[in-house]
Amino acid sequence: MEDEVLIRLHLAEELRDAGYTVCEAADAHEAMTLLSSLDRVRLMLTDIRMPGGLDGMDLARWVRAKFPEIKIVLISAEYIPETSAGFDAGFTKPVRIDDLLRCVRRLLPQAELGN
Amino acid sequence: MSKPRTITQGRPTVLIAEDAVLVRMAIAAYLRDCGYRVVEAASSDEALLVLQHSAQPIDVLFCGVHVTGALDAFTLSQWTRKNRPQIKVILAGAPKSAAAAAGKLCEEGPHLAKPYEPHVVEDYIRRLLALQSIEGSS
Repeated sequence: MEDEVLIRLHLAEELRDAGYTVCEAADAHEAMTLLSSLDRVRLMLTDIRMPGGLDGMDLARWVRAKFPEIKIVLISAEYIPETSAGFDAGFTKPVRIDDLLRCVRRLLPQAELGN
Repeated sequence: MSKPRTITQGRPTVLIAEDAVLVRMAIAAYLRDCGYRVVEAASSDEALLVLQHSAQPIDVLFCGVHVTGALDAFTLSQWTRKNRPQIKVILAGAPKSAAAAAGKLCEEGPHLAKPYEPHVVEDYIRRLLALQSIEGSS
């Protein structure tokens, strides 16, 4: 989930090119709608700073409580303190695609890739 | 949902501007299965940013007529017509009353009603791109 559309489409495209199925959400409410509707989500990548009432941390907490099996990767323009419990990995912007893909592969070692 | 038909030539890019995330996701997934590259915009503001700044040329704009954002769907279509005339525009989900007003803004009028049938959308896009190809070669 990423509200900056050009960053979101770039990250999503890179992940699709790597073989992952990617669903895009522009804010926390869209992400919650998707997560409540789909049953095959294995990992959520979200920016911390988001428009609207809920930010990425709020969303991460919601996901942890409702879908504890889903891996959570946070992205932030600022340093993410390790005390931010409840996530599996964190990246500071700008995100290097190679690092992100390595992280996703580590978190989802058994993923069946398409394409 | 019918089985996606795979496109055989090139990989056209479709920009979907639709704020209903489940609708957008279903159409996008179907078009990707058909072989299109799909860019998703959750509002007209996001769509405009993509139209202005995407490194990848957009071939088709598929715009929900009630898309939210600073621009309404018709204004976004008008902007696209004026500034990116090579892009085919599909306005979708319109009530009949909006169809007349939109007639000159899109390729064939906004007569794709919600809920969109993904294979109908894909047929539409395929036909528009084929027409574009014929027009380009004549």
